[in-house]
Amino acid sequence: MSAAVEARGVEKRYGSLVAVADLSFAAEPGEILGVLGPNGAGKTTAIRVLTTILDPSRGSFAVAGVPHTRPAEIRRRIGVLPESAGYPEHQTGEEYLRYHARLYGRSRADAQAAAGVLLDEVGLGDRGSTLISTYSRGMRQRLGIARALVNEPQVVFLDEPTLGLDPAGQRQMLTTVRRIAGERGATVLLSTHLLAEVEETCSRVLILNRGRVAAEGTVAEVAARAAAPRAARLRISAADEERARLALAEADVTVLGAELETARLSDAFLAMTEAA
Amino acid sequence: MRVVTVQELRDLWLGGRGLVLTFAFSLLLSVVAYLVATNRGLNFLEHRETVNLLLQVAIAVGALLALLAAADTISGERERGTLESLLLTPVSRLELTVGKLLGALSLWAVAFLVSTPYVWFLARGVGLTRDALLTGAVVGTLLAVFLGSLGVLISILASSNRVSLSLSLLLLLALFVPTQLPSNAQQGWAGDLLLRANPITAGEHYVGKIVTNGRAWTADVSWLISPLVCAAVFATAALVVGARCIRLGGGARG
Repeated sequence: MSAAVEARGVEKRYGSLVAVADLSFAAEPGEILGVLGPNGAGKTTAIRVLTTILDPSRGSFAVAGVPHTRPAEIRRRIGVLPESAGYPEHQTGEEYLRYHARLYGRSRADAQAAAGVLLDEVGLGDRGSTLISTYSRGMRQRLGIARALVNEPQVVFLDEPTLGLDPAGQRQMLTTVRRIAGERGATVLLSTHLLAEVEETCSRVLILNRGRVAAEGTVAEVAARAAAPRAARLRISAADEERARLALAEADVTVLGAELETARLSDAFLAMTEAA
Repeated sequence: MRVVTVQELRDLWLGGRGLVLTFAFSLLLSVVAYLVATNRGLNFLEHRETVNLLLQVAIAVGALLALLAAADTISGERERGTLESLLLTPVSRLELTVGKLLGALSLWAVAFLVSTPYVWFLARGVGLTRDALLTGAVVGTLLAVFLGSLGVLISILASSNRVSLSLSLLLLLALFVPTQLPSNAQQGWAGDLLLRANPITAGEHYVGKIVTNGRAWTADVSWLISPLVCAAVFATAALVVGARCIRLGGGARG
């Protein structure tokens, strides 16, 4: 398998409840794949299965070329920022990163150096020796990203990294995500609700609804697919706008808007998840 | 495993919780030692019995501390939202459990060290220091391993930290109930069986035989069967079965 992440018919059941059904997709090395879906769509369950926290009920997958039957090896090659991750309040950011680096088998000196580099990378260089209990929500999320990178992963899973952040924090987080893929060459699976930002950040998207894949493709492909039946578009010159309005009014045509309407990913997302 | 254990020790001792519990433990021992050494009423106790009383308090409370720390291990991580990050590392669940159990047992080790000067002070007059300390170390360690493993097991399986701590304390109280039974209820084959089967009562009975009655170590060794078996069975259960059962808990849906 050459894909960084490849899932084939993955299913996760809790008794009779199917949380994820027939999940099949592939993410290429270095790409940022947006995983979208409404609450309860199965995003977190899918990520927990792919990160080996939960066992799949059916199907198979490989991460960084390692089959799901070797979970410990997968865990060595991935970095994860779980949804609503907690942090030990009595540790400093540096101690926290150092401990996790040691859990990946790094030597004491190496772990110390890695902690410093990562803190700088996520913009916490000056707060590394401060207790985590004093960190804001945004700082904790950035610390979580740093922890996810502590083993230099090939694939990074970020589950709602922008949850609870203000717009500036969200933007900063997405910049960090782009940097992870751009500079480190890691594949990023980004689960989020921020559709506009996904359009800017992700090369491809995977939309989940009720545990199933509702759409997959590039942002433009997915948006175009659902946006097409939404409205008819006329491209006219700006100078003809007034005349066109009058002509359409005379012909009893309802004008939805005078501006050229751009297909947006949010339209596709809502259309696909509401229709299902 | 060493990394996890070291971190657990740091969290427990540098985080302050271990020091507070040990301070409370030493205060309790100070009060008990003061009372048995000075109180006229209690002075009716034979000298050996005062040593036995102090040692039994040290063992019981020391093992209780290990249980309390163990009951918070996995369920505490789960409740604080830090368990998933640990499970995502390549460290095996067995290593994680062993590290956490050793961290919890360190409370007993320190409690025993704190008890040593008290035991020495009370036992020095009757040449009992060595036997008392050795018996306390053996029985206390067996009971601490048993209760610590029980606490870890409950912590793994409990739905919340509160449930884990409550259930652990309830079980501990149930194990101490036979010590409060009237002496005639402790006699006969049923009473004897109850005392021998319960690791707490069996262990404390053995300490009493050595310290108070001055019996040889091997004379009443059958009283150690229950503490030994319970320590081995529960440690195995926690490390082998329990470690495999570590889960994030409910609500694993996206």
